[in-house]
Amino acid sequence: MSVFRRALIASNIRNLECYCGVQKRFSNTLFDGTLEKHRRSELSHDREKTESFPPFEAPKDYKKKYPDFLPNADWKKRDRITEKLERKDMLRRRAVLNIPEFYPGSILAITVSDPYAPGKYNRFVGICIAKNGNGLRTSFTLRNVVDNIGVEILYELYNPTIQKVEVLKLEKRLDEELYYLRDCDPKYSTFNFNMEPVQHPPGAPIPVNDIVLKIGPRPWNQKWHRQNLKGVEGLDEHLREVEKKLAEKTAEPWEKYDIMKTYRNSIHEEESERILSEVYEKNLHNQKLKENRKPLKMD
Amino acid sequence: MSAIQRCSKLFSNNLCRTIINIEIRSSISDYKSFAGSRPKKVKNRFDPPEWFVPKKAYNYFDNLTPSNRDFLKEVAYDRYITNRESPLVDEPIKRNTWNPCTKRTGVLGVKIGVLPQWTKDGTKLFTTLVQIIDNHVIRYVPPEDYKQSSAATLYMKNRNYGSVVVGALSCYPTSFTKSYVNLFNEAGVPPKRKLTRFLVTPDAAIEPGTPLTAKHFNVGDYVDVQARTIGHGFQGVVKRWGFKGGPKSHGATKWHRRPGTIASGGRTGLIYKGKKMPGKMGNRWRNHRGLKIWRINYKYNVLYLTGPATPGPTHSYIRIYDTILPNLKKEMTSKEVHPPMPTAYPEDFSEGLPEEVFDDELFQFNDPTLMYNLDEK
Repeated sequence: MSVFRRALIASNIRNLECYCGVQKRFSNTLFDGTLEKHRRSELSHDREKTESFPPFEAPKDYKKKYPDFLPNADWKKRDRITEKLERKDMLRRRAVLNIPEFYPGSILAITVSDPYAPGKYNRFVGICIAKNGNGLRTSFTLRNVVDNIGVEILYELYNPTIQKVEVLKLEKRLDEELYYLRDCDPKYSTFNFNMEPVQHPPGAPIPVNDIVLKIGPRPWNQKWHRQNLKGVEGLDEHLREVEKKLAEKTAEPWEKYDIMKTYRNSIHEEESERILSEVYEKNLHNQKLKENRKPLKMD
Repeated sequence: MSAIQRCSKLFSNNLCRTIINIEIRSSISDYKSFAGSRPKKVKNRFDPPEWFVPKKAYNYFDNLTPSNRDFLKEVAYDRYITNRESPLVDEPIKRNTWNPCTKRTGVLGVKIGVLPQWTKDGTKLFTTLVQIIDNHVIRYVPPEDYKQSSAATLYMKNRNYGSVVVGALSCYPTSFTKSYVNLFNEAGVPPKRKLTRFLVTPDAAIEPGTPLTAKHFNVGDYVDVQARTIGHGFQGVVKRWGFKGGPKSHGATKWHRRPGTIASGGRTGLIYKGKKMPGKMGNRWRNHRGLKIWRINYKYNVLYLTGPATPGPTHSYIRIYDTILPNLKKEMTSKEVHPPMPTAYPEDFSEGLPEEVFDDELFQFNDPTLMYNLDEK
C-alpha cells in the first residue's frame, strides 16, 4: 500500500493528493514524497546517493527479538533520515554493550553506574513488568519487593550509564504488561538478589510461564476488569453488579478484527524487513570481528 | 539545433499569453492615468506588495508525452548543472574576519524530528534534528541600495544592514511563472521552492550563487531559530486558552465548553481589547533563542540543536541564524575557532571532513560506558 502510494506521488499528476487521499501533516508542512524527491533530485548540488539495501534476509524471529529497532508508527512524526541516524546510534551502542533478548515476564539483573552509591555502582534484580517506547527511547521497568516494600525502577535501554544487562531467567507470561503484580500477593514479585541464572539453551523456543494469579482486595491500581487479562483470576469477587454491567458496555471485542487500526499502529512488513536486514548485517559483521579477535591469555 | 533553442520553441506559445497579458495590463493603467476623472484606488489590505512576483504556473507536465517531459528535464539539467555559467562576473568579495558585531546570513532548514542524546555526565537531553537541503544565496543587496527600496521598513532604514535572500529546495522551472524563474538568473541556480531573507552587516557580504550547507556552523556554537508553530485551525476557548468550561452533568444544558461572561455591563458597557476568545490557534511565527549545536552530520547535512520544543511540526521550514543573545555571543568570542566568514567554502576543508562531529560534552555511542571514579568528591 505504502509503495503504491509513493509511486503515485512520484508520478506527475496534478492535485494527486485530492484523489488518492494522501494527507499533509499540517498546513505548513511539506509532503513526504516531495521532500524525498528533493533529497535525490538531479538539480541539487549535494545530492544524496541512493544506497543499496543489504541482500540478507533477516531471520523471522528478529521482529520479536529486536522490537526497539522498528520506528514509531505515528506517520506524523516519521522521517527516513532521522530513523537511519537513530538506528546507527543504537547499533553503535550495542557493539559496546551486550544487550541480550528479554521479554516482559523474564527476570533481569542490571548494574548501573551511580555517583551517589557506595562503590559508585548499583545492582538491581527484578521481574520485567513492561517494555515501552522504541528507538533510543526504549525503556523497561523492573519490579521487586525489598524489605516488604514494592520497588519499581524504570531503566532506559540505551542510557550510557548501564554497565551490564544479565538475564537470570528467560521466559514469557500470558500478558504483555504485568502491572497487576502491584495488587497481587507480594510473594509473586519477590526475587533473591543472589539468584543464580537459569541457563537457556540457544535456539530453543522461549518458555511461556502460564501461572494465573489471584488478585487482592480493592482499592486497585487500575481497572483490571476492563483489560482482558489472561494471567489474573478472581476479579468478580470484588466487583459490584453495576461495575460488571459497565465493563460489558465499555468492552470492545471487535477491536482485534479492525484491520485498519492494526495497519495504522504497526510498521509495514516490507519496511520492517528492510530495517531488520540492516540489523542482521551489522550483527554478522560484529560476529566476524569477535571470531577474528585473538583470545586473551589467562595464566 | 541545440537543446535550449528547441526548448524556447516549445515554450514560445505559452509565454506569449503572459506577455500579452502584461501588455494589456500596462495599457489599462495608461488609460486610467489619462482619464483622471476616476478616484485613485485605495490600497487594499489584501493587495500584494510591490516586490511580489506570482509564483505558481500551470503545470505543463500534465499535457506532455513522457518523452517530451524527459526532454524538458534534460534541458533544465543542461542549463543549470552541466553548462552552468559562473555567477562571478566581477572579482569575488573579500573575506573579512568575524567579530561579535557581525551578523552573518542564516540558512533555511527542514525540521525532521526529535531524538534523545546523553552528555558525559550521564544527563539526558532532547535534540531537534534539522536538515539543510540544497540552500543557495540568491541575491545580495548592499545597505545603501536596500535603504531606498520599497521593502525596507523604518527599522532597516535606521540601521546599516544589507539583505541576503536564501532559497531552498531547487525545482524544475516548468512549474513556475517566468517572472519567478527570472529571479534566479543572477545566481545561476535552478528556481527554489522556498525563499527567505536575512539581514546582514556589510562585512558579511556574500555573492549570489554560493551554496550554504551544515558547514556554515561550528559545533558548540549557539543559534536562534524561527518557525511557524503547529496550526490547529479555529479552536474554542477551552483548547486555545485553557478555560475550565462547564460541568458535564448536573443539569448543564449546552454549557460544557463555553467561555462565560465576556464583560460586565453598567458603566463600562464594552469588551476590553485582548479578551481571550475563540479563534485561529497556532501557525504563527515564533522564536527560540540560544540553542546549542551539539552535533553535526556532514553526510546528510543535519544539525542537532537543543530542545524538544522548537516551533513547528516535522517537515516544516525553519530559519536558523547566529544568536543575538549577548552573553552567549561573549562565549563564542572567547573561543579560538570563530564561525566561518561569510560561509565555509570548500577550500577551507582541503584536508577532508569526517562524517560526524560531536561536542566535547556530548556522549558518543562508540565510547565505553560511563563510570564514575571513586576519587571524585
